Amino acid sequence: MGFLEKQTDPTSPMHWRGDMQADYFYPSGIAGDKFFKHLMEKDTFLATKCKPCNKILFPPRLYCEDCFEEITEDDWMEVPASGKVKLFTKATINAHGVKMEEPKVIALIDIDNTDGAMLGIIKTNELDKDFSGVKVKAVLRPKGNREGTLKDILYWQVI
Amino acid sequence: MVEKKEYKEWPPYAPGTHVRESDIREKKITYSWWEPEVQYSWSVGHAMSKFLQGLKDGKLYGIHCKTCKRVIVPPRMFCEYCFGPTEEWVELKDTGEIETFSISYLDADARRIEEPILVGVVSIDGAYPKPMGFMHYFGEMTKDEIKIGMKVKAVWKPENEREGSITDIKYFKPLKGGSE
Repeated sequence: MGFLEKQTDPTSPMHWRGDMQADYFYPSGIAGDKFFKHLMEKDTFLATKCKPCNKILFPPRLYCEDCFEEITEDDWMEVPASGKVKLFTKATINAHGVKMEEPKVIALIDIDNTDGAMLGIIKTNELDKDFSGVKVKAVLRPKGNREGTLKDILYWQVI
Repeated sequence: MVEKKEYKEWPPYAPGTHVRESDIREKKITYSWWEPEVQYSWSVGHAMSKFLQGLKDGKLYGIHCKTCKRVIVPPRMFCEYCFGPTEEWVELKDTGEIETFSISYLDADARRIEEPILVGVVSIDGAYPKPMGFMHYFGEMTKDEIKIGMKVKAVWKPENEREGSITDIKYFKPLKGGSE
């Protein structure tokens, strides 16, 4: 078809379809690696202590974000896999924007004995409850099935 | 008050090491892996549609700009010299001449290979002014035999395997005995 001819079949122009390969690889890093390897073996978390700030950093770090103090081998400590809900929200749509059959409660959990927090999903039947300050504990994958990612924490359970 | 640490070297000491392929394969390190679904559909336009459809039928199409006296391949809906519309489709031969070439010891995924692949631009017979053509692979010739100006002919995929893609031509082989 030349420029001056009429296009009568709207389906005739071709489309080139393709898949863009954009694999995303994120190593846990030195501190993260230690944390996840510990989590694969035990039912507790690891945290690091910054002595000058007198703060317990969670997730564990190689240096303090506030004072840039280096974390040494002795600053690592074990903390329980439990905490208190700091913030929470009820999600009714999933990551694709599609309405979920069962809403999920997503919470920011202050980890016990630390000054840090992490996000998690609370498994509960009482979806409309106020979870602020509620004590929760992590339910982990059975040992042996853990793969060293955050998915090893299946959900958080109200104690 | 926090006492500042004095570092003698700059940049300051930073622990860390490169991640090696074996670290991932042997699961020495923990990591997250994610493959996003990124699909695209690119509308090739009227002129390229006709060109790609032609490849499916084993034909090469060019398009004529009468003002500039050019036969353009790959075809365009307008001439990029005069910006006027191109008017007339021309069926071209599947022979041509090597315009440029490259001997590559890297494959399409940038892996090192022992036997080099030959790629380059072919000027298609019947399209003008030269150079006028497209990039493709060269085959049935060695890296010592390939040269600029060599006459070549397209080697097509069997008809049932063609899908309207530039790879419907497998490669260009030497055309023995000059032009057809």
